[in-house]
Amino acid sequence: MLSACKPSIDTVKPAKAVANLNLSRYISVGNSLTAGYADGGLYLAGQQNSYPSIIAKQMQQVGGGPFVQPLFSADQANGSGYLKLTGFNPNGTPVLTPVTNNLAVRGIISVPGFGNVTLYTKYTGDLNNYGVPGIKLYHITYPAYGDLNGFFERLLPGNSPTNTTTYLDFITAKPCTFFSNWLGNNDALSYATSGGAGDVLTDKNTFAQLYNLLIAKLTANGQKGVVATVPDVTSIPYFNTVTTGAILAGVQAAAPSVKAIYINALVSGSTYAPRAATANDLFVLTFPTSKVGQLVSTPYGMLPYGLTPYSPIDSQYVLDEKEVALTLDYIRSYNETIKTVAAAKNLAVFDAYTFLENVKMNGLVIDGIGLNSNYIAGGIFSLDGVHLTPRGYSIVANEFISAINAKYGSAIPLANVADYHGILFP
Amino acid sequence: MVLALTPVFAFAQGFQVNLGGVKQIAMGSTGTGTLQDGASVFFNPGAVAMLPQNYVQAGFTPLVFDSEFNPSGTNATYRTANKIAPPFTFYGVWGPKSACWKFGLGVYNPFGGLTDWGNNWPGKYALESLNLKTFYIQPTLSVKLTDVVSIGVGFVYNRATINLTQAVPLANQQGQDGQAVLNGTGKGYGWNAGIFFKTLSGVTVGITHRSGVSTDFTGTALFSVAPSLQSQFASPNGFTSTVKLPSTNSIGVGIYPSPKWTLAFDANVVGWDVFKTLSFAYTVKSANTNQSVFPQNYQDAVSLRAGAQYQCCDKLALRFGTGYATAAAPDGYVSPQVPDADRVYLTGGFGVKISNHFNVDASFEYEHLMARTQTTIQTQLSGTYETNVYIPGIAVAYHW
Repeated sequence: MLSACKPSIDTVKPAKAVANLNLSRYISVGNSLTAGYADGGLYLAGQQNSYPSIIAKQMQQVGGGPFVQPLFSADQANGSGYLKLTGFNPNGTPVLTPVTNNLAVRGIISVPGFGNVTLYTKYTGDLNNYGVPGIKLYHITYPAYGDLNGFFERLLPGNSPTNTTTYLDFITAKPCTFFSNWLGNNDALSYATSGGAGDVLTDKNTFAQLYNLLIAKLTANGQKGVVATVPDVTSIPYFNTVTTGAILAGVQAAAPSVKAIYINALVSGSTYAPRAATANDLFVLTFPTSKVGQLVSTPYGMLPYGLTPYSPIDSQYVLDEKEVALTLDYIRSYNETIKTVAAAKNLAVFDAYTFLENVKMNGLVIDGIGLNSNYIAGGIFSLDGVHLTPRGYSIVANEFISAINAKYGSAIPLANVADYHGILFP
Repeated sequence: MVLALTPVFAFAQGFQVNLGGVKQIAMGSTGTGTLQDGASVFFNPGAVAMLPQNYVQAGFTPLVFDSEFNPSGTNATYRTANKIAPPFTFYGVWGPKSACWKFGLGVYNPFGGLTDWGNNWPGKYALESLNLKTFYIQPTLSVKLTDVVSIGVGFVYNRATINLTQAVPLANQQGQDGQAVLNGTGKGYGWNAGIFFKTLSGVTVGITHRSGVSTDFTGTALFSVAPSLQSQFASPNGFTSTVKLPSTNSIGVGIYPSPKWTLAFDANVVGWDVFKTLSFAYTVKSANTNQSVFPQNYQDAVSLRAGAQYQCCDKLALRFGTGYATAAAPDGYVSPQVPDADRVYLTGGFGVKISNHFNVDASFEYEHLMARTQTTIQTQLSGTYETNVYIPGIAVAYHW
């Protein structure tokens, strides 16, 4: 009798849940975020918590098809290697230790005209998650890209440097019924994380042309799908943790007379000049702050690094105010393209730009978990300050699912964020 | 590095149990305006002096609170463990046969909650389990002023315990959550008073006030988190908290259409409005463990009850009843501790006279809390709660 009387809340039936979507072959297109990259590397545990795999798991509850990822094997589970949090220094900064055992590295080759490429153990078999760490939209029609990116090369049958299959051809070789696409981040992020010094922003028109090409091919048979916008690079902890104020305070603790930190900042075009750093200049997370104040050789003699206009901090360590503005201008243009193309093709849009901007401004509370964009403590971003924790990926997966449900009237169930952990503390 | 992750303690709106006596439960938990047995100490201290006999009685009403939660936007359902909360009652009433007064003593559990959602559900960072018990001990003096009216007053000492567990969203190397466990005991004082009329028409009427009981808890908080973070969570830590248990005003009538039939009606207003916030202050304060303030924002709630007794013969009485109660927790403040909602209940039972001095009574109550879809403002835990409560009861009474 007790079991007959149990409370029973009506939930949505699968047939109704998928509306008119065909989820039999869902594929995910994208970069490192899509691959499940985390903590500075691609490794098995990260792949298993990739947002597309979480989306697929939820789709499977309402009749979605199998979702196969190019997983590293158990004995090579650490993949490319990654960073592990092993403790805290007395000043509270984290101690990160690289994991270097059980890797899937099969070699390093030198590609003429490019440089060294790390190659990984090949993956063969069916594939639904096409996330390739490092890839830009700019790369999707480049035939030799499979020779230059080890994460792409491991998915291809041929060995570098003999590949000629473009990413676009690779992902569309086998028809899909539904897709997610989150390409475009690296077209801005690679420039930004190099401090505006080691890479370039993809031209806006090129971006629009390639995005149209990509979506046209993905929707060639009328497929439905979801796309995501490019987040503002300044919304990630990689650029918000090491601040001008913190560096200056650290220096002043030892040398109170120091009034400013000097950087080599963009003036215009490709002209750089030294100036005092402000709070609007963003240092990269990996900037070795211990360099500041060390004597370096300059045309004016030995001077303390970063403390005089003649020994400014190198451009590679800082995305200065003008570079920030330039990046943001490009990102906004990319996002206009993404939204316009999505609207034209009747695709759902996860506006990652707005979402992460909100998290940065207001934080986020989900099921009693307080989350924000802070490094380590925030719970969303992994140890590299760019990619996400499993919990962060589950939140992103739910945002994708919500966008799909809103657009197509489906009721794909949301994932349980509490099932996915944040940073692993020692 | 300072972790901006305060554990979210959001325990417990008090939960009124309304299990004052097995005969009364069987009659829809009416009893303010009727005269049944020693349970009048709880239902209406003013009626005690009108009791025809002296009583010693004990009752046991094991309670299963079966809640289901369906997170918004999902097909998943989660259910509380079928744990049995053990409310009991003890009453003694004594006075010389010729005297116009009686002395009473009651021990009962008017508030409590036992919800165990486990450590594997979406709301685990809001609550894993809560076990709140209150033991009111109430000495009572009642005086019959005339054959028509009697009054009574009781003093209440509350001894309470609380046990709360909650996951802390900081994972160790194995991906396991941290845990917070609070254990405490509390005490508080209150009073109650009632008046009872036996009107010339035969209708009986009772009016009572049970005061609020502000209960002060002290206890120990244990936090276990990954070793590298443990120093930021003093453990064991102490805590203090004050829980304002509400007052109840009741009016009830008893109607006797024939010698075999008793009809009873009660109306109650529970002063939940006092329960606006809940806070825990920790003894060792840090960024993570300072003071936690949790809005509850309860509002006064009303319940309406009706019951009947049919005395088939000298040896057997049959009883049944029903009731309706409004929720105390307003929208936005419903949480897993007590998934509060408007509720209806049906009751039934019987009483057997074993001998001239000895009675056994049994009851069963089925209570249904309406499905309620809520997003708790504080935790953003969003979903639909639905609850059934099953309460069998048995009591023995010796009277002379």
